[in-house]
Amino acid sequence: MALHTGWSRRALLRASAGAAALAAGGTALSGCASRTTASGATRVTIWSWMTGMDQYVAAFNAAQQDVHVELNVIAGGLSGGYAQQTNAIRAHNAPDILHVEYQGLIQLLATGGLREITDDVADLADGYSPAAWRAVRPDGRTWAVPMDLAPMAFYYRRDLFDQHGIRAPRTWDEFAAAAEAVREADPAARITTFPLNDGSFFAGMCWGAGQPWWRIEGDTWVVDVASEGTLRTAGYWQDLIAADLVGSGGTGTQDWIAGMHEGRLWGLLGAAWSVGTLKRSIPDDTGRWAVATMPTWDGEPANGMQGGSAFSVSEESPVPEAAVTFLRWLCAGPDYPRIGATFTSPFPAYLPNREIAREILPDDFFVGDPVFDVLDVAGDRVPEWTWGPNALGLFSTVADSLGPVPTGGTTIPDAVRRVQRAAVSEMRGRGLSVREGSPA
Amino acid sequence: MTVLAPADSARETAGTAATRAPRRRRTSPATLLLVAPFALLLTGTVLVPIGYALYLSLFTERLSGLGFEGPRDVFVWLENYGEVLTDAAFHDSVLNVAAYALLHIPLMLGGALLLALLLDGATVRLRQVWSLAVFLPYAVPGVIAVLIWTYLYSPNIGPLNDVLPWDPLGSAGVLPSIVNMATWQWMGYNMIIFYTALRTVPREVLESARVDGAGPVRTALGIKVPMIRPTVFVALIFTVIGSLQLFTEPLVMRNFTGSVTSTWTPSLYVYEAAFISNDYGRAAAASLLLAVASALLSALVMRLSTRSGRSR
Repeated sequence: MALHTGWSRRALLRASAGAAALAAGGTALSGCASRTTASGATRVTIWSWMTGMDQYVAAFNAAQQDVHVELNVIAGGLSGGYAQQTNAIRAHNAPDILHVEYQGLIQLLATGGLREITDDVADLADGYSPAAWRAVRPDGRTWAVPMDLAPMAFYYRRDLFDQHGIRAPRTWDEFAAAAEAVREADPAARITTFPLNDGSFFAGMCWGAGQPWWRIEGDTWVVDVASEGTLRTAGYWQDLIAADLVGSGGTGTQDWIAGMHEGRLWGLLGAAWSVGTLKRSIPDDTGRWAVATMPTWDGEPANGMQGGSAFSVSEESPVPEAAVTFLRWLCAGPDYPRIGATFTSPFPAYLPNREIAREILPDDFFVGDPVFDVLDVAGDRVPEWTWGPNALGLFSTVADSLGPVPTGGTTIPDAVRRVQRAAVSEMRGRGLSVREGSPA
Repeated sequence: MTVLAPADSARETAGTAATRAPRRRRTSPATLLLVAPFALLLTGTVLVPIGYALYLSLFTERLSGLGFEGPRDVFVWLENYGEVLTDAAFHDSVLNVAAYALLHIPLMLGGALLLALLLDGATVRLRQVWSLAVFLPYAVPGVIAVLIWTYLYSPNIGPLNDVLPWDPLGSAGVLPSIVNMATWQWMGYNMIIFYTALRTVPREVLESARVDGAGPVRTALGIKVPMIRPTVFVALIFTVIGSLQLFTEPLVMRNFTGSVTSTWTPSLYVYEAAFISNDYGRAAAASLLLAVASALLSALVMRLSTRSGRSR
């Protein structure tokens, strides 16, 4: 008997993922039983992994009587949240509102589970940051309501840079020179890591080169992972990693956390949400960090994005109007920055909200240019970009392909070409109409 | 004891079944009632899911154009199986698990057997303390154990990275790292099983061996090991199946190193296909292939076990 539990322990972990999905499905089903609460409010269910979503929901439920939102917290998107939502759509028991990031929207759209909300939110168009609005309208129809924006930015140790006479790099050439200067100043220190195990990050870095990995032309997907811009980005980082000027380990690993605390890392290639992360994880570093827009190629300003959340209404939701009511309040109402500011540093995609956030958020951690000014500029510089219907899967392919880079098993440009081939064959295999952008 | 029970009782029931064979069986309502819970659970948790996986494995989702209109299910016969079997990523995952099993199984079971024999044979002080100490890693939850080990493997902060001549999180180092974690976790567990089996070896047999002039090593190899052979084979079967299912260790390590790909083991391959690529047909096909491989390997080990039992 004891023997039995022995080998099934491994299987247990695998099963637990399924069990969690089942449990979540169960609650969604029970939610379907009645669409109104005892007090007559319309019941709306939402699945989300956003920090503090419980507080937004509680505030909304307290503020009015017509709609009652029920939150189900799920695992983060790439750690299981998308799988759970996709499975729920397939099983026809999806919640009324789904959590999608810009990068996952198209892949979720390809499940056929999202509801078009073009007319419901058309009046919000003018208030939204163009980058966010474009991202939820891949084909000219609106599929989600954007909540926050995540332009990338370069965070750096202003104190150490100043002390050694290093200037914040404005171009990638200057960045390489700064990387050398950092290593010269302290042989154990590096200017940053370039996490090779994070496909979403790599896509964000290539985004800045201005050539999107996917484009829509008529009824065809143009896949262009191995574009000139991406290959140039790839070659640049290959040289820096090969010369040991930047690290290649992941952000958020034990080594990375220790490096940040011990001053072995003088910079971070992050996004708007890194503000909150830095404040929380290294509070002792107040007054040491500054933020700058991403260095540019040829001085032509461009900033990629990494992440950023939006919310979609389920195709099969019986209460789409109530769902949209909540989403308008959540994403374009003034309560979001006010509540969000109490526990994090929100960077709203809806511009009037961003003004509120700018006013109430204390700018006491960073030195130099005010954070919101820098992020504002970064957000305006986001070039056109379309995510593909295989974006999330492609992040795994990217991470797998880049794995052998540190040991010299492959180079980043070679890996990029491999990713292009894999992406094209995978999309064709699924029956999509695909054309290759540039010869790989 | 309990550990020997499966083998012994199997022999027993085989014997009794043979003697009772002529008598006709009658199924009384009580029998049905007693069998029902098991039958229901077996049907609900094993047979139906396997049947559904079989059904899923014959279909694939096809999109068209841009894919915004959602997928259609298309019947593709055995195309998914062909796709899995010709997928280089799947081949790699099978090779990884094979390499893992070849390193892990002899190391872990050999170590467990050696420790059990030492504990049983030599005059060991604090026997209970030793067995508890070796068993303890099994009490650490798997994910926690991997996190702790990965911490130790990490560059700059973990001591192992400096001490070892290779990078334990590098592309050549992850296999030994994973073998080490699994061996650490399972050796004590199997040692307890072997040790318990060794305690049931009749003392008079050991005494007569000693009278015949067998030393401790001779006794261990010539008497004890053959007598607990059924237990060793049971442990071997479970370890083989467990190795094929290798999942937790590489999945957790993926957060720390790019050297573990998203399809590093067949289980991860299934997970990636189902939950990241949303390709349920391919996932179902791969998981059924994995199940068949497990069944075949178990049957092989069983067969070896009975054959070597007969030749004794």
